[in-house]
Order: sequence, then C-alpha cells, then structure tokens
Amino acid sequence: MAYVIGVDVGGTFTDAVLDDDAGNIVAAKAPSTPPDYSQGVMDVLAVLAEQLGLPVEQMLADTHHIAHGTTSSLNALVMGNVPPVGFLTTVGHRDSIFIMNVEGRYLGGSPDQLQNVLGQSKDHGLLPKRHALEVVERIDRDGTVVVPLDEESVRTAVRRLLDADVKAIAVSLLWSFKNPAHEQRIREIVHEIDPGMFVSLSSEVSPRIREFARSSTTVMSAQIGPGLRDYLGSLEGRLREHGLAGPLLVMQSNGGAIAAAEAPATAISTVGSVLTGGVVGAVSLGEQLGHRNIISTDVGGTTFLVGLVVDGEPVRTSSTIINHHPINVPTLEVHAIGSGGGAIAWLDKGGNLQVGPRSAQSVPGPACYDAGGTEPTNTDANLVLGILPEAGLLGGRKALNLEAAREAIRLKIAEPLGLSVEDAAAAIYAIQNAQTGDLLRKTVVETGHDPRDFVLYAFGGAGPAYCGFYAAEVGVKECIVPLGPVASAFSAYGLASSDIVLASELSDPGQMPLDPARAMENFASLEEQVRSALERQGLDFERIELVRSLDLRYTAQLAEVAVEVPAGTLDTAAMTQVTGDFEQRYAELFGEGTGFSAAGVQAITFRVRGTGVLPFSPALPKVDSAADPDPSVALHATRKVCLDPRLGYADTPVYDYRKLRAGHRITGPAIIEVPTTTVVVPPEMTGTVDHLGNLTITTRN
Amino acid sequence: MTMQIPGSEHFSSRPTNLDEITSGLPETLEVHTVTQEQIDDLDPLTYEVVRHRLWSVTEEMGEALKRMSGSPIVTDANDFDFAICDELGQEVQVGLYNTMLAGAVDLAIYWTLRNRSHNPGIREGDMFLCNDPWVGGGLHQNDVIVFQPVFHEGKLFAWTSAICHEPDLGGVGLGSFSPAAQDVFSEALPTPPIKVVKDFDLQDDVVDVWIRRSRVPMLVNLDLRAKVGSNTVGRKRLEEVISQYGADTVKAVMKRMMADAEGRLRGKLGELPDGTWQATGYQDQSHEGDRGVHKITVAMTKQDDHLTFDFTGTDPQAGMINCTYAGMRGGVMLALLPILANDIPWSAGGLMRCFDLVSEEGTINNATYPAAVSRGPIGPAWLTGTLVAQCLSQMLDRSADLGKSVQAACCGTWDTAVVAGLDERSDVPTPFLNVMMEPMAGGFGARPEMDGMDTGGLFCIPMGRIPDVEMTEFLYPLLTLWRREEPDSGGPGRQRGGVSASLAVTLHGSSQPAGLVLASAGKAVSQNNGLAGGYPGNTGLDAVARRVDIGQILAEGRIPQSLDDFGGDVEIGNCYAQSYLAPGEVLYMNWQGGGGYGDPLLRDPHAVRHDVVEDKVSAIAAAAVYGVVLTEGEVDHAATGRRRAEMRDERRKRSRTETRDRGKLDTARARRIDDNLVIDGDTVGCAHCGHGLADVTRDVSLGLAIYDGPSTDAGPQVTSDPAHYVDEVIVFRQRCCPGCWTAITSSIVPADHIDSTEDVSRIGVAGLVATQ
Repeated sequence: MAYVIGVDVGGTFTDAVLDDDAGNIVAAKAPSTPPDYSQGVMDVLAVLAEQLGLPVEQMLADTHHIAHGTTSSLNALVMGNVPPVGFLTTVGHRDSIFIMNVEGRYLGGSPDQLQNVLGQSKDHGLLPKRHALEVVERIDRDGTVVVPLDEESVRTAVRRLLDADVKAIAVSLLWSFKNPAHEQRIREIVHEIDPGMFVSLSSEVSPRIREFARSSTTVMSAQIGPGLRDYLGSLEGRLREHGLAGPLLVMQSNGGAIAAAEAPATAISTVGSVLTGGVVGAVSLGEQLGHRNIISTDVGGTTFLVGLVVDGEPVRTSSTIINHHPINVPTLEVHAIGSGGGAIAWLDKGGNLQVGPRSAQSVPGPACYDAGGTEPTNTDANLVLGILPEAGLLGGRKALNLEAAREAIRLKIAEPLGLSVEDAAAAIYAIQNAQTGDLLRKTVVETGHDPRDFVLYAFGGAGPAYCGFYAAEVGVKECIVPLGPVASAFSAYGLASSDIVLASELSDPGQMPLDPARAMENFASLEEQVRSALERQGLDFERIELVRSLDLRYTAQLAEVAVEVPAGTLDTAAMTQVTGDFEQRYAELFGEGTGFSAAGVQAITFRVRGTGVLPFSPALPKVDSAADPDPSVALHATRKVCLDPRLGYADTPVYDYRKLRAGHRITGPAIIEVPTTTVVVPPEMTGTVDHLGNLTITTRN
Repeated sequence: MTMQIPGSEHFSSRPTNLDEITSGLPETLEVHTVTQEQIDDLDPLTYEVVRHRLWSVTEEMGEALKRMSGSPIVTDANDFDFAICDELGQEVQVGLYNTMLAGAVDLAIYWTLRNRSHNPGIREGDMFLCNDPWVGGGLHQNDVIVFQPVFHEGKLFAWTSAICHEPDLGGVGLGSFSPAAQDVFSEALPTPPIKVVKDFDLQDDVVDVWIRRSRVPMLVNLDLRAKVGSNTVGRKRLEEVISQYGADTVKAVMKRMMADAEGRLRGKLGELPDGTWQATGYQDQSHEGDRGVHKITVAMTKQDDHLTFDFTGTDPQAGMINCTYAGMRGGVMLALLPILANDIPWSAGGLMRCFDLVSEEGTINNATYPAAVSRGPIGPAWLTGTLVAQCLSQMLDRSADLGKSVQAACCGTWDTAVVAGLDERSDVPTPFLNVMMEPMAGGFGARPEMDGMDTGGLFCIPMGRIPDVEMTEFLYPLLTLWRREEPDSGGPGRQRGGVSASLAVTLHGSSQPAGLVLASAGKAVSQNNGLAGGYPGNTGLDAVARRVDIGQILAEGRIPQSLDDFGGDVEIGNCYAQSYLAPGEVLYMNWQGGGGYGDPLLRDPHAVRHDVVEDKVSAIAAAAVYGVVLTEGEVDHAATGRRRAEMRDERRKRSRTETRDRGKLDTARARRIDDNLVIDGDTVGCAHCGHGLADVTRDVSLGLAIYDGPSTDAGPQVTSDPAHYVDEVIVFRQRCCPGCWTAITSSIVPADHIDSTEDVSRIGVAGLVATQ
C-alpha cells in the first residue's frame, strides 16, 4: 500500500486529499494556523488518518510522497511581511528597481484603477534605497567584460548591508544572464564575509533579458527564500518525526512540484502554487473523462480564477505580476478577477451598477451572514433570488438572513436605481454572469482559441451557482461540476495528481534563423541543468519528458510568442521550421496577414521544461448507477427561484445531491444542493450525473 | 512663411454640427442610429452589461496593437491609443495610453465623412490612413491613425481607430524632427485620409507609397499591419456584441455612455464655484537658432456646468513649436481626463461637449498651414494641457471635496533626443535610429496632502513605460553609463514634487559619429512650476561631454557617474539643436521633475530627513531650500528652527513691499479661500499668520511682498543659465505674506510675466463675500 497526499494550505482552510493507489480517495479539511502553517498541516493529516482508521505514523510511513501547495509566500509578499533584504547591482543602475520602468505605477491594475492616475502611487517599492547598493563592473550585450568586477567595491557594499542587518542579499547585474561570472564572484565574496548569508543571483533565479523584471524577481525570491527554508525545514522535521519516509514536495506556479530542499533557492517559483492546483486537478479529471480542451473556473469568496487546458496541456505563461512588479516565473496561466461570491455590488457616481472587485471577505462577510456586513454581495443576491436556501448549505446548515440581504440590496441598489429588490438582485446576478463571461472570452480568445471547442469545469464554493450561464455566455456546450469526494478540496486533489516539473531558461537574443549549433548548445546546456535538477529530487520517475521552447518575436516587438522546438539535432531546416511555426502561431493569435517577416524575426529566450512523471495518477472512484434517469428520488423541496428576469420567480425543484446517482438526468430550471456548494441548472439546460458523481450541464441541445 | 496657403483651409477640421454631416452624405451611405426614446428605454442591466463589453473591445484592440507593433515607442513606451466611435465619429470609448489623442480622433472622422463619402466612397471593408494633423487623428505627422467604418446590415454603424507614433516618416530631420524647420515642408509629409484597406485587402500600392518616405520603412510597415490588425480585432468583437444584443441596443448604449459621461461631468462642474482662472506659460526657443520666449495664455471661465477655454493673447505661430487645433483640443483633454474625469468613464465624445475653445488662428497652439508642427504634441499641446491643469487646480483648490485632485505642474514636456548612426556589431553594419525613451520617466507634481510621484511618468500617457536598459543595448549600439533618479529634481515644497531622472549613454559598437537631434523646452523658463508657494521642479539639461575617450576610462576600470567625471568639455545643448555624438563622447539628459506644493519651509523636517536618506533631496538642498539642519543624520530641531527663521528674514530683506495696514484676522474663524488665503468679512488675510492683506471693498491687489532674483535662487534644481538659451531676462519670482514671510507663489518666469496672483477680483473673492 502506498499513499499520495496533496495538502493545500489556504488563507482560511488547509485541505488535504489522500489517494491509496487502489481507487480510493479521502478528503479532509482543517483550519489554517498562521503564522506557523505547519500545525494546520499536521492537523489535517490527523483528520485523514482518522478517516483511514490508522495512526498518523502508520499513514505517513506508507506514504510515497506529500505534495504541498502554500499561499504563505505569496501572502508574505503581498502583505509586505518580509525580512529586510539587500540588493547589489551594476554601478549607475541602482534606481532601476525604483524607477520601475514607470510601469510599476499601474501594472496589474483594474480598468478603473488604470484610468485614475491621481489614485496611483509607487509606494510599493521592493526595499528602501539605503539597502540597494552599487558595485563597479560592466558587461555588455555580448557578455564581454567592459569593466572587470572591482572586488573592493563589493566588500564595502556587502559590509554596509550586513551592518544594516539584512537577512538575504539579492544580486542582479546588467547582462548577467549572458555572463554570470561577476554575480558568482560576488556570492563567493559575500560568503567569505558571512558564510550563512542567503544569496539570490539573478543569473540563477531568472536568467532572462530585461533587468527590471529580472531584478524584481531576484529580490522577491530573496525576500521569501529564508522564510520558506525555515518553514519547510520545520515542517519536514515534524513529518519525519511522525514517520514520513518519502519526500515532501512543494508545488510551483508552473503546475509541477519540486523537492522541499530544492525549493528555497528559487523560492519565487512557488508563489503561485495555490492558484494552479485547481488547473492540475482539471487536467487529471479531464484524462478520466476524455476532455482535452478545458476552461477551468475556480470561484471562491474573493476571486474568480480561470485557467485553460488545451489538447491535454495547461496553457503556460512566462511571467506574472506581483505587487505591481513584473515577475519572471514560468507559470500556468491563471487569470483572476475580484468577482467571487463575496464580491460587493455598488453604484458608481453615475449610477452604474458594478459588481466587485471589492469583497466582503470572511469578515464581515455578505449581509446575509448576519455578522455585521451591510453591503450587498453576490451571495445576498443569490439568496434573494432563491438560489440559496435560507437554511444555508447542507453541509454547514448555518442559516442565512434573508431580510438582511434584502435590506442591503434595497438600500444600496434597488432604491437608488428605482428597481424592485428582486429586479436589483437579478441585475446583480446578470452582471456577475456577464463580467465573468467577458473574462472567460478574453482568456480563451486571447490565447488564439475558440471557446466553442472547450468544456468548462466549475469548482470552488461559488462557481456552480453561475457556471451554466457563464458557460453559455461564451458558447461552451458542456459544463462539468466535480462533485465526488473531492468537491470541496479540488485544488488539493490537483496537488496529489501532480508530477515533478522543472524548467530552466536562458536569454540569448539573436536574429533568426539562428545558427543551429548555437541553439543546440543552449538547449543542451539547459537540458543538462534540468536533468541534474530532476535527479536531485530524490524520487523514482516512471519517465522523464523534456520539452524545448523558444520565445520569438518580430524585430523589436515587446511581446514574444513561445514556440516549441523539436528534440534531437537541430539543423538549418529545423530552425527555418521554428520560424515558420512562429509565424503560423502569430497569425492564429493576431489574425492572418498581421505578421511581417520582412522586419526580421528575433529569438530571445530559450527554455527547457522537464517533467518527471510519477507512478501515480489518482483516479476518482465510481459511484453507483441509478435505475433510470428520473431523479425524483432525490427531490428535496420546491421553492420559488428567479434565474431569468424575463421569466421571474418560478416554482423550481431542489434536489439533494447525496441522493443522486450516476445516470440521473435533471431538467432545468433546477437547484442541486450539495453539502459544500449549490448548483444551478438554468432553464432550458439539462444536468446529468456521470459515473464519477460529477454533474454535467448541457447548455444547449 | 506665416501666410496661410490658399486652399489649405479645406484640410482644417473642426468640431461640427452633426446634422450637417449627415445631410451631406450620399444616399448610398445609410447610417444606423437610434431615437432618444430607445436610449431612454435601456434598462440599467443591459446598459451595464453592454458597456462592459465595449470596454473589453477597446482593451483587446490595445493589447493587439501593442503585441503586434515593432516600434519601441509603442511596445516599450506606450505612445499610442485607440477608440470606438459612433456612426458619425463621436468618441464612445478611448484607451488609456496617450490621452491627448482623444482630442483628435473624431476630427479625422468628421472630415472623412465630409470629404470621402462621395468619392472614393466609404464602404464595408475599408480602412483609412491619415497623418495630417490639420485633418486630425493625430497631433503631428508622426501620429498615424488607421480607422475603419464598421457596417451592420449595410448601414454605417460605428468607427474604430488605432493610432501610434511612428519613429520616422521622412523629412529633413532624423525621426522627422527638424529643429531648424520654419514650415511643414521640412517635415514629414502630411497625408490626408487615404484608403489603405479596401474590400478587407491591404492595398500594396498605398502601402508602398506610405513606407517609401521613411528612414525605417520596415518598422513603419509592421506598425501599419499592427494597426490594421487591431482594427480587425475591434470590428470582429463589435460584430459579436451586436449579434448578441442587437444593433439598436448596442447603439443606444453607445449614445447613453456619452450622455452619461457628459451628465456626470456637468454635475461635477455645477458643484464648483463659478469664476475665471488664468495661467500663462512659455516655450523657450522656437527652433534652432531662435533665442525668443513664446507664450501660451489661457483664461478658463466656469459658468454653471460649462467651461470655456479662451486662448486669446497667445503668441503667433513660430518655428517648429506649433500645434494645430487638434493639438490645442488634445492639450485640454490631457488635463481634463485625469483631473476632472478620473472617476467618470472616458466617453470622450460626451466629455468634450462640456467645453468650448476660443482661440485666434495662426497662433502657436492653433497654427495654420504651412506652420511646422512636428513639436506639436510635446511642445504647445502639452503646455496647453499644463496650463489648463493649473486653471483646474486653482478652481478645485477651492473645494474641500475635489481638492484632492489638485496637483502642481508635472514634468512639462517630452525631452527628445534622437540618435542615429551605424550599428557595426554584426558582420553587416546596419543603420539604426533610436528615440531615447527614458524621458518618459518624468516627475509628477505635488498635491496638497501628498508628495509628487517620483519618476511617475508623463501625466498625459497614463500607461507610459520606459524600456529596460538591456533591451536598448540589445537593439542599438549604445552603452548606458547610468540611469538614475536625480536628487533635488522635484520642486521643493511643503509637499515635494516628484523627482525626475537622468541618463548618460555612449556609443558602443559603432566607430562612426552618430547624428543627434535635440528638442525640448523648459531649460530657461520653468514648465513645472509649483502651486500655493511650492517651488518649480528642475529645469531640463541636455549636454554632450565632448573630446572624451570613454573607452580609455572604462579600460582603466572606472565608470564615471557625473558630468564632471568625464574630464572633457561639456557642451550644453540648446532647446532645439542638430548635432552629433562621436565615438567616446557621452550624451547626458536630465528631464523635468514635478513642481512642489506649499512653502518648503513648512515641510515636516522628518520628511526632509527621509528624503535625504532615500536620495530624493541632497543634504545641501535640505539646508539651503528647506531650512532643515541634519546633524549626524538626525534632525536638529533647534538649529532647524533658527535656520528657517533666518530664511524668512532673508525673504523680508530682499523683497519689495508696499505699506498697507489691514489689521489681523482670527484664522480659526476666517473662511478658507485656498491653501494660503482666508477671508473674514471683507478682509482677505494670510492663512498662516492671520496678517490682513486686502480689503476687498477698496483694494484691487493683495499687496504681497515680491522678489525677483536670478533663477538659481529657486534652489539647486536649477542647473542651467537662462542666458545660454534666450535673450529675455528670466527671474525667480516669489511673492510672500508680508506678515510671516510664507511663500504664496514661487516661479521661474520671464521678467515681464504677468499673472493674476495679486489681482483680488481674479481670485473670485467677490463671489465668496457675496455668499458669506
């Protein structure tokens, strides 16, 4: 018997999923325990063990590995809760991270924030200027040393930083990705003076052209590295004490895991891990259901997250934005808007109804929670519309206060707009669907795909109440709500399903067609790095897959398009083929005829992604079949629900999910109450329970 | 050549009566519109949903343009914009990039409807290209717009457009900037609207005519395709929205968006006091060889819910520092959008109904053909915007609620340097042309309760950015010796103006001298004056370190970090100059920071200390301008108090005063006029000490003490000698309360500058007395 355990540490709850490699899956939940999140991990493991009827020690002894996703590093960065870090860079260029290419003023802002220049600031600097110091050295674009490293200037700067009591030092020199010698020498000098100092080199953390993003990435990695090292050290210690024999893995933003001991050195690669668990889960479920193209939507209390799976592979991007800084982290592309269940509905100064991005969060929560919230949220509108029962969720049975919800909507929305409370609630519901529809369309279309070729997965507490509508909004025919044992812990399920994914990249800009020998040399060295990093994980892999890619652009464009490069020997024909693939992909993204090869094509960044495939693929267990499609055995109640303002309130059947079986077929309009969520089957749509207990909503015939 | 060329009036587009346009259209061109009833019948739900959709259409157009363009001006500096307009060209939604362009897009569409609908016709599948700043679409010839009519069921439904700045479109100067230009014939050729796409096909003959003029035809070609692609994205998405919601509904939403924006702006204006506010600003030099100072003046009158901007008194067009009507209108939009419409959707078509422009033809911000206009957007249009912002700030400073949008002047221009030469880093040497993008990192003006943003960017390009040094060095044979924030470049004040930055580059990988074109104002006079007594930000300075062998210096292991470190001759560049950069020499640029707010002697000494620690203010300036004495890095409060008292005493000694006794006011009881003035009964007094300044029933002036001295008296941020650039006498002028010697205004202006600070009637005191 060998278990795989996925643990997802969120801000509020720590979720865990255990797979026994024999078709059984168990899920558990425990409160998160900041600031020492490891306690919550131990707690949730105890709950799992209890469900198995085993002592924790025995469960851990039989565990092949634990895959762990954590939000704590990201939270630390977003909240600015990081230790003082020093920064060393090329003389004359200290201020790059303060000038922020100007874009640091607005990066990551929503449309209304972008328009409001007077509401913006640059107060989110990475560190105080006195902790950013310069060293004398210069390398040019070809990697040639123009001015050798002045080691005395390094020693002086390092001593000043140590006097200022920094906990880590980030080093990012101009063109270091072309020639890392100076950065490496600086680390040696730091360690001569203080052998224990945590040092991040930009040439290792992010060897990519464009110094602002590279420096930001390196500084943030240094800010979270020591904390991650301490946390994982202590967690791993506790797990070993309790008998864990297999490795502890940490999820990365790229959708794959890495050994805990290896994670702190490139700490920044783990920041988006909680966002990606759901997408990895969608890939795994997709394999079981035979879906290759999936739009994954995860709707929690605060955010609405969208990820894409195309042809069985998650869509990736090479950078992200944290605290208004561009960060070079290969990541699964996850788009977010502030449109969760707790998103607040409000009127702008012109009387336009808006939903989000502000959220009522868990405190005070929506008005209907009766915990002091007075602003109307999506959840309040759903209660007024009858989608949510006053009795609350089946699993929780915390009663909701309908009057409080009505009052909030009446005061803030209905009266100012001259609408009835019911119409105002319907308007909030419709705006929410339109807004999420826009995000979905943008996400799918901007990556050059047609939403009609996709199925949509909806999970998270607040997603299933809307998914039929927003799926129809973008033309998706089929929408899957995963409802088996992992319904409430889908992200942790994703962690348990993940493989090891490591990537190495290197900028070496040049004109296409590149000399094949130069390309081969770059890829060979990246492949060697990835292979040896995979070996360091201490795991047995079923197989290792390496994928090469190259970022290309038409001369001087800002945005690059990644193109896969074939394995094996590259010749001139192969390089020409790469250029051709780029042009084809470009036309798919931006339209036929928009490319212009006469301007020339430039290669910018080489990348190799290696996947160490683990010998596990947790499958969801099958549920019992129904005798016939009629779901009336599960009919729980009938209540008035308004799902479409044109139809108004209509008597709507409400089903108890616990009594549904595979093959049951529900005709909309209908509501399905699940212990952890509520599903809406909109009018003129049907919902079918599949053999794994998921509900499939068909948006049209 | 100052005479307007006969026949050129044909190309001057103006905001117009839309019915007149409609009635002039051929019968074959049907337009789609909706009735007021259909607009009124929209339910809030549909309105909101479709409005969201239109927003995402424009956003996708911008993303597409940005990804496809090959010009760093677009991709790295975001100098572009795009719009969706209704069937007659009124702007429904504009992008957030270069906001001045919002003043020009509709003008080009009006003109096209008038002059292209019969011949060659406006049909489905067409796109027009235009870079004629008199017609509109852009503010100078380098702004190239591609716009397209969108049809629905055979009727003209809407227009989409995409504009960006092209690096070079020919003419005698590099980058199409000719510093010596006396007329448009030295510049890039203005091209009135021409069909570049027909039946959805890019027309090769037109493309060839278009790119032939440029020094960088490939980039211009790529950008053209990017704009066509962006419009295609816009059309397809708009068609999807129409098919989902119906053409009438979408059109009703478009009309209502404009009406809504208009209504909200009018509502805001209605709450503000009526009055007239004035501002006058200058451009030093009009072209290479000129030593004059050229004035734009504006009087903004707010009456009920309407604004009138009257530019009467502005100097005649001169040299190359002119802009067309589109530039003047764009300049107004540059200030109005972020200051008054920061919380109103940018439905520019509606917002522009709230103001009128009054101006004499043939002036520097309303130039007639064939004036040279290549400096249009970054010279006169920008200055127009800065002055309008000053008027708006004076008006808003009177409102406690809206006062948070008050801001001293930001970096007042785009400091242009174009370097063009030979890139010898590969086997085949190739020519290169680079417009230095770093001057995008200007400082913002200070505000009543916060410092100006350091290297915040340019106020008129909300989403501007500068390229990474590595990208510049990858593309061009240049080595950047430094790029840093400049201490002291922010205007001193109770709230400090945002600092700007400086740049030093040298050729690296080229053995040939490169051509260099410089164009910038604000080196002798300030374009970034402070507010409420705050001091101006730095004057700009561009220079070349001549007869330097940087290769030798680097080989010795040194990387110089100041102009003095190079050891050669420093040649100061004029505002407008054509020059060269030889191998081994260094180009230095320092552009403008923002103006300060309030008297620097009132700044919290701890904030000054923090600025010194963070390298925003030098220790010298802390003592000399702020009067803050630091001992071993900490504030010496006693010494600071003494120093500040001495400085007030110095102001007393150097100023001219008139004898006048208007008693003392109780500041706790008096009513606020602005940051420095209060009123009690008929007496206007100093808000800081209660010193009575003027009795509004008998005084016409405030009777402030006045000092005129050399511009360097403003502080170390003044790094240039005005006499190097202009013949006029330029002074640092300060007006203080003769009671406590707090600065009420501090500016760098020509000695004959006239402003309304002293004028009791101009500050609207009569209105305040009446309402008490």
